[in-house]
Amino acid sequence: MSARELPNQRGVGCLADRPIALSTSAADTLEWLVRPFSSDSAIDRKALAGLLAELARNVEPQIGATPSGVRPIDSRLEQLRTLLVGREIEVLSRLSEVIEDPEQLAVAVGRVLPTAIAQASNDAQLGEVLAPALEKATQSSIRSDPRKLLNILYPLIVPAIRKSIGETIDETFQSLNESLKHSLTLRGLRWRWEAWRTGTSFAEVVLKHTLVYQVEHVFLIHAHTGLLISHVAAEDAAGQDPQLVSSMLVAIQDFVRDSFSGAEHQGLDTVRLGELWLWSEPGPFATLVAVIRGNPPEGLHETLRGVLSRIHDERPHALESFDGDSSGFADVEANLRECLLGQRAPESAKRGFPWFVALVGLLLLALAGLGGWQWWQNERAWEHERQLQEAKQRMWDGYVERLRTQPGIMVTEVGRRDDKFVVAGLRDPLAVDPQLLLRQTGIAPASVVSHWEPYQGLDPEFVLKRLQASLDPPPTVTLMVEGDHIVAQGSAASTWIERARTAGRMLPAGGPSLDLSRLHDINEGAIGKLSEAIRSHDIHFNFNESLPAPGQDAILDQLAKELTDLASLASSLDVTARVMLTGHSDDAGNGTFNLSLSLARAEAVRALLKKRGVDPDLLAVRGAGQLEPLETASSEAARSANRRVSFKVGIEEQR
Amino acid sequence: MTATLQKKICMLGAFSVGKTSLVKRFVESVFSETYLTTVGVKIDKKTVELSNRIVNLILWDLAGEDDISSLRMSYLRGSAGYVLVADGTRPSTIEVAVSLRRRVEADFGPLPFVLLLNKNDLREEWAIRDEEVEGLRRDGWWVRSTSARTGEGVDDAFGALADRVAH
Repeated sequence: MSARELPNQRGVGCLADRPIALSTSAADTLEWLVRPFSSDSAIDRKALAGLLAELARNVEPQIGATPSGVRPIDSRLEQLRTLLVGREIEVLSRLSEVIEDPEQLAVAVGRVLPTAIAQASNDAQLGEVLAPALEKATQSSIRSDPRKLLNILYPLIVPAIRKSIGETIDETFQSLNESLKHSLTLRGLRWRWEAWRTGTSFAEVVLKHTLVYQVEHVFLIHAHTGLLISHVAAEDAAGQDPQLVSSMLVAIQDFVRDSFSGAEHQGLDTVRLGELWLWSEPGPFATLVAVIRGNPPEGLHETLRGVLSRIHDERPHALESFDGDSSGFADVEANLRECLLGQRAPESAKRGFPWFVALVGLLLLALAGLGGWQWWQNERAWEHERQLQEAKQRMWDGYVERLRTQPGIMVTEVGRRDDKFVVAGLRDPLAVDPQLLLRQTGIAPASVVSHWEPYQGLDPEFVLKRLQASLDPPPTVTLMVEGDHIVAQGSAASTWIERARTAGRMLPAGGPSLDLSRLHDINEGAIGKLSEAIRSHDIHFNFNESLPAPGQDAILDQLAKELTDLASLASSLDVTARVMLTGHSDDAGNGTFNLSLSLARAEAVRALLKKRGVDPDLLAVRGAGQLEPLETASSEAARSANRRVSFKVGIEEQR
Repeated sequence: MTATLQKKICMLGAFSVGKTSLVKRFVESVFSETYLTTVGVKIDKKTVELSNRIVNLILWDLAGEDDISSLRMSYLRGSAGYVLVADGTRPSTIEVAVSLRRRVEADFGPLPFVLLLNKNDLREEWAIRDEEVEGLRRDGWWVRSTSARTGEGVDDAFGALADRVAH
């Protein structure tokens, strides 16, 4: 540098080829230079004298080798010095003055410092050396007044924060989108349509419709003085003097800040009064306060911050030095007007003919019409089906009712299972066939499940049926139901009557009884008497003879007459009469012989009766041999009594 | 209509010296006085016409305090000047004004200010000696006598202060 260059260029440079004690090193030279030159005692006069003597010797070698008597003060020396290096001394004295005085040195260094740093900036060491000092400086700056650094960083921080908030809001929109994706209300569909039409996300449309608000006032307030820089208001927004309002807002901010510790560097950012909101966005030199009526969206913060940031960017110095004169801020109003945002209620948004709404409306109407017609069709089909079902049900109910009234059928369960009718109960086998009844109703037998347990009913009809089946009454007998009784009418053989009486006794208690009182025994009356008369006769035979013993013609005649009467009586009574002629023998002789002899005797009598005009079909013969004796004694009289033909009459109902 | 120049002026003074009465009668008031007791400050506006322009003085009427340590000094931030109010019938209020001025000067440096000796209408009860006032004037104080009741001197005082703060 100039201080170092000077000795080389001028005074000392010419002595350099002859080293002397005076100039030992560059550092010493410099040291000598910076030494206060005003003190003469600092000059080594001895050395100077030696030097001059040397010079003199060079010029004139005869001159004595050593200078003698150097005086402490020699004005000539001073003259010489001034002559030789006077200019340098002057420069040096100025330099030394600069170096000695810290202020001047600072100015001098400051002048070259930017260049020096610029030249050294390629050297990595510079950064390392400066870093700790810068860190300390920053720390102490933050400690003393954080606002300063905040103001410096404001232009950097705000866009970063804005970006971050923007991203957060985007994320919120996305999640909101997800959550609303499946909301398919009519309004939701309408909004979805709007989102599709306008190319925005569904959530944004939802927010737009749900947030109805109006920014009524925007104040730009100087942070330091609390004075109003600019104010804009929405149309028909009422309000007090904005200058007073803005000052009061600042006062309240101060009040809150002072009253609650920990909020020294912050302020109120949101105040709510019913449906009125006060949003305050602080900037380094000015605060933006928006008065909002309604329900503002979070995104409005972003708008306010953006406007405030722009105002700061455009005129930072004017804002910083604002002293109450707002005349230079007329153009700020345009910025503030951007904040006068609002969202009207959807119904007030009338802009031209709503083609889309009309189209959607028509479409919906058409759909509704189609839907309505289909609904009507369905309704009709359903009604038809319902009627069909009802008819079926009615038929079924009728069938079940008929079943219930049928004797011998006990319905115990009626219902529907799957698509089928179900009926179950007890059925007397004599009762009507339910399937037959079903066919008469017109119900498809396949749609009916029946289950019948067999039982015997005590219904008089069934009892009658059963009696008729078991007793097989002759045609002369009529069985019928009379009240709780079954009555037999007519006439019958006593054997049948006896059988009927037994059957009547076998009938279960509690059921109908069998009344036989009106039944007549056909063996009684005239025919009975005649039968008795015929039975009382015997035709006698002599030993070992097959023709009747003599003297019995009168009996045979009498018999013939009675038998003829019997035949005609039976015919008149519609009954069949049969007469059995049984031949007997005594016990003498061979049994087999006696059997044929007895049969021969019966045949002989039959022939004799036939001869007398009796219908031979009426007469049957048989031989009993000695097995059916009249007398069991072994006397001749008994034997004689046992040789005979006996008569037996049988009256039977005609078949 | 809106003046382009605004200046923030604080009204300071001891309790019941008539600050609020001064303000009430001569300025545009929109806020209720309950602000004084709640927030500790009430803001009013006094429009002063100067020769070349109109200045709106935004008056911050600070709640009267005899104990000046409890004054919210933050309300003075950004003030272009201030008005000290004292009660001419009570000498102690001048002492309060003096200490208030000292306090403000310590925190905010020298600012234009005016001392209003109020209740000028109560001359017979006047308790402040002229020498005292003269002493203050010698120290560079700018003193005016006013009466909130009659309105005497008030417009002049505000006009002069406006002139000084508006340069």
